[in-house]
Amino acid sequence: MKHLSLDTLARLVDERPTPGEREHLASCGRCATDLRSMRYQTEALGALPAVRPPQGDWAVLEARLESEGLVRGGGAIRKFGFAAAPRWMQAAAAIVLFLGGTGFGLTVAPGGVPGSEILGADGAIVAVNDISTLDGAAGAVRFTEQQYLDALTQFRRLEGEAGVARVGNPVSRMAALETLYAASQEALRVAPSDPVFNGFLVNVLAERQEVFRQMAASSDDGWF
Amino acid sequence: MSEAHLIRQASDGDGQAIRALYERYSPRVFAVVRRIAGDDDLAQDYAQEAWIRAIRALPTFRGDARFSTWLHRIAVNSALQALRRADTRESREAPMPETLAVAPSVGDALLGRRLENALDQLPGRMRTVLILHDVEGYTHDEIGELMGVAPGTSKSQLFKARAKMRDLLQTLNASETQEVEA
Repeated sequence: MKHLSLDTLARLVDERPTPGEREHLASCGRCATDLRSMRYQTEALGALPAVRPPQGDWAVLEARLESEGLVRGGGAIRKFGFAAAPRWMQAAAAIVLFLGGTGFGLTVAPGGVPGSEILGADGAIVAVNDISTLDGAAGAVRFTEQQYLDALTQFRRLEGEAGVARVGNPVSRMAALETLYAASQEALRVAPSDPVFNGFLVNVLAERQEVFRQMAASSDDGWF
Repeated sequence: MSEAHLIRQASDGDGQAIRALYERYSPRVFAVVRRIAGDDDLAQDYAQEAWIRAIRALPTFRGDARFSTWLHRIAVNSALQALRRADTRESREAPMPETLAVAPSVGDALLGRRLENALDQLPGRMRTVLILHDVEGYTHDEIGELMGVAPGTSKSQLFKARAKMRDLLQTLNASETQEVEA
């Protein structure tokens, strides 16, 4: 006796059998059992429960909502200061402090890493080694992040409008990434296994590679 | 607070309202992207992206569909787009899912774990069709639209996926039986 294929049984979960298939199912216990199993499997899939996101997921999302300006008037981060800031922002602030040599006694480069400057909230350039508190550093990181995201948003808008080859922003985008890259590397020299610093570096590298790729693709239009 | 009010508030950038929507819907959003991604870390990224997109698009939500349906569609779209970009899933050996189901009973948890394991081992496109149809209840027309394929293709992928699932579940069952006997 030729049994029904698994594909046929899978179809019969939703569809009526042909007369030949019905006749076979009536006389073949094995195929009838297989069809019942297939139906049970399908019902069980439909009853799979929802899945909780991992712990800390909201904090990460909240930070992104903040940095993309999607939350009006500030959330917990602005209201409660550094202690309530998500872990990634604390880590980023620690990088800034670390580069300034003022936090945790971890001075690696007296005077900070060359070029390690950020824009202050008033638009003035501030050297990272002038920042001395965690709240100050967190604020500076937040501001820099916002600047970067604003530039990125603008870049992407222009990309859509004019095409990447004619947009002048990849160079400044790359410069911002280079600063983040240097900061992450310096931090990892002291804490090589820190997962947050490692994650930071991986993200920066991925973004940098993408910008490199875009710049290379645009080189025919006179980038270099 | 009613859902319509929450949505209006969230659309206006109210952090508390966004948080309330997140608390209400994040398990369902995470579940669908986790199953499509087949990986906890990727799922977290996809879910985050889905929420950012949804909050950004909230002002365009007009209430023609239920909010949960609208949000779910954004989550699925977001995960599918990310998956297309990554395109690294085909030959990956999937680990056991580490995420926690929402309040399953013990028997359900065991069956659920077995099903999730088998799902993770399905090839990418088959898995996505099976998840969207059998787990999430999308029609073949909707799946075709989401995945950019004909409804007939979705249907044939579904039948292959179900058949493959049956094989995988039998294999998992046999290996578990052997472990118990040993």
